[in-house]
Amino acid sequence: MIDNQYHCPEGGFLECKNFFCEHGQRLSEILHLCSDIIEKIGKGDTSPKIDLKVERYAVQRLIDSINKLREEIESLIDLNHGLAIGICEHFEVLRKLQKGNFSVKASEDSPIEIVRMLGALINKQRDRFIEYIDRIKTQHKDILELYEQQNMILSSVGVAIIVVEEDMTIEFANDEFEMLTGYSKREIEGKMKWTEFFTEEMLDKMIEYHKLRRISPSLAPRQYSSKIKDRSGQIKEVLMNVAMIPYTKKSIASIIDMTERKKIEEQLIHSQKMESLGVLSGKIAHEFNNVLTSILGFATLLESKAEDETLKGYTVRIIESCQRAKSFVKNLLTFSRKEEIGEIKRLNLKEYLANFQGFIEPLVGSDIKVMLKLPEKEIFYKIEPTHLEVILMNLITNARDAMPDGGEITLSLKEISLDTEYHFTHPLIKPGLYVMLCVTDTGKGMDEETKSRIFEPFFTTKPKGKGTGLGLSTVFGLIKQYGGHIHVYSEVGKGTTFKIYLPQTEKDFSSIDRESLKGKEVLLVVDDETNTRQYIASLLRDYGYEVYEATNGNEALEIYEKIKDRVSLCLVDLVMPGMTGLELMKKLRQISPSIKTILMSGYPVQFKDIVSIEKTLSGDEILYKLREILNEKE
Amino acid sequence: MADRLIDYRGLKCPYPILKLSATYPNFKEGEIVEVLGDCPTFEKDIKAWCSKLGKTILNLEKHGNTIKVTIRI
Repeated sequence: MIDNQYHCPEGGFLECKNFFCEHGQRLSEILHLCSDIIEKIGKGDTSPKIDLKVERYAVQRLIDSINKLREEIESLIDLNHGLAIGICEHFEVLRKLQKGNFSVKASEDSPIEIVRMLGALINKQRDRFIEYIDRIKTQHKDILELYEQQNMILSSVGVAIIVVEEDMTIEFANDEFEMLTGYSKREIEGKMKWTEFFTEEMLDKMIEYHKLRRISPSLAPRQYSSKIKDRSGQIKEVLMNVAMIPYTKKSIASIIDMTERKKIEEQLIHSQKMESLGVLSGKIAHEFNNVLTSILGFATLLESKAEDETLKGYTVRIIESCQRAKSFVKNLLTFSRKEEIGEIKRLNLKEYLANFQGFIEPLVGSDIKVMLKLPEKEIFYKIEPTHLEVILMNLITNARDAMPDGGEITLSLKEISLDTEYHFTHPLIKPGLYVMLCVTDTGKGMDEETKSRIFEPFFTTKPKGKGTGLGLSTVFGLIKQYGGHIHVYSEVGKGTTFKIYLPQTEKDFSSIDRESLKGKEVLLVVDDETNTRQYIASLLRDYGYEVYEATNGNEALEIYEKIKDRVSLCLVDLVMPGMTGLELMKKLRQISPSIKTILMSGYPVQFKDIVSIEKTLSGDEILYKLREILNEKE
Repeated sequence: MADRLIDYRGLKCPYPILKLSATYPNFKEGEIVEVLGDCPTFEKDIKAWCSKLGKTILNLEKHGNTIKVTIRI
């Protein structure tokens, strides 16, 4: 202990020359200790503390000051370390966020307020980012869906459509444009210019429109006629409908093939003409029949009462003429579809035609050969036998008369399915199953004028007295009475074909061997609607098929990759979220080009080279169609 | 055997952890790093850093003033 009562004889420590003074040594020790502590604090080690009490005030003050300095530096070091750890931690979070890892979160538990606030700010910013990203993802999904929907609309709209760039390159072409031009999308899109598809004479005008439309859409007409040339050089009249796509320099053009339209219009006009003729002849026949009935009645009475043989002879001739007139009236009534159908029988058409061949061969003469083309399977149709006989006899008679120097008559029969594509070009014929009877001759044929009038009553090209002009109109009326259609194809000098389509209102599955609907093939059914998919899958399983199910395109591709060597056919729904049925079918074909597929849809659709069925069909119809496709040769 | 050795001897805390934070993103995930430091608060700092950033301390050795920490990044 330093004695503060002691008075240094040397005049104090600073003046002292006595190196061995015990007071001086004590003070030195304390000063050394203080220096050591200050050095440690300087290095950041604030753990040691000077725990000394001295009586000399100045020395004690020094010790207290060093201890206080230690405490303050310790708190500064703690702050410094807290800030450093906080920075490191938040830096790490920001680094991960920048890399796209949004699962991280900054801590908000630092004892230092600014570090805590920085953590909270980073988290808020992160949440905002997540919100924006979610919004962008939703918008992106919406845009993709919209894009898919638009593509689907453009693909299935049934009109040729192209989207063209400012430099006239075709950016997009739909299936109908492929069909119209004969070029594939791969050849067209991004490679060909639209100018390559139009005839020279149209180009100057169209190029001018193309340029004017890009200055202002109102400067060029939206709709105009043009001429397109296909791959084979054939020129088709088309109706163009062009519009600019908003916010771009691209335009979209729909191209309607007017050649087909004109044919359809002609068919409609012809049908209306035949309809009016039917109504008119029906009325005339009806009135005429009334008159004839009374003439015939009274003539019969007169014949029974007349005693004079000459008068009797006259009345007999009146009666005979009346009966001939009655026969005309009957034919007219048949044409106007006013004749009642008698007893309908379920005829085996194949058997019927085979017998009919034997019956007509003597009638047509030896210089005409009658040939038959019949399908392997039996075809049944419900019809009044005399009607079928009248139809065939009239056609055969005409065929015979068209071949005075001999030739060939071919009778053919088959069951066909007319799809929606056929319906587009023949609007009067509904899509569905038909029995088709064909009568073809190798005779002199007909010109267009004759062809357009052959079904009119009393129209005949035969010499006077040889034909009544009612034969084909009777045929026409009978076929219409069964809801059918008759088409004639003829070329002068080559011959004529009459094609009769009789509708099978419902497939007569009762006549079908149910065993024939069964199969053991492996099938893949793809449909996002659970009920429909499960119904079709269980139906197919009941009939012996091994069925795999997929709920969407990606799942279907995964399954298909695993079992592709075993799968015989894929049934694919047209409309599915994500990958559409058409896209899936394309991808399946990329994997296996020869894969058999059926497109299922809720409404009638038609795509090039794609077999489609409506989901509303009965189970039997689906099985029948499936079997047909599976039985087709590769 | 560490993949990398970082020597922070002579650096006062909290420089070592600030420098480590800036450097380690260039390392591969899972890499084993030995960090040397001799600051009196180095041990406390490096332990806090590992705990906050979710890194594992595999070993900690003291040789006089020097501390060697082995960390899995």
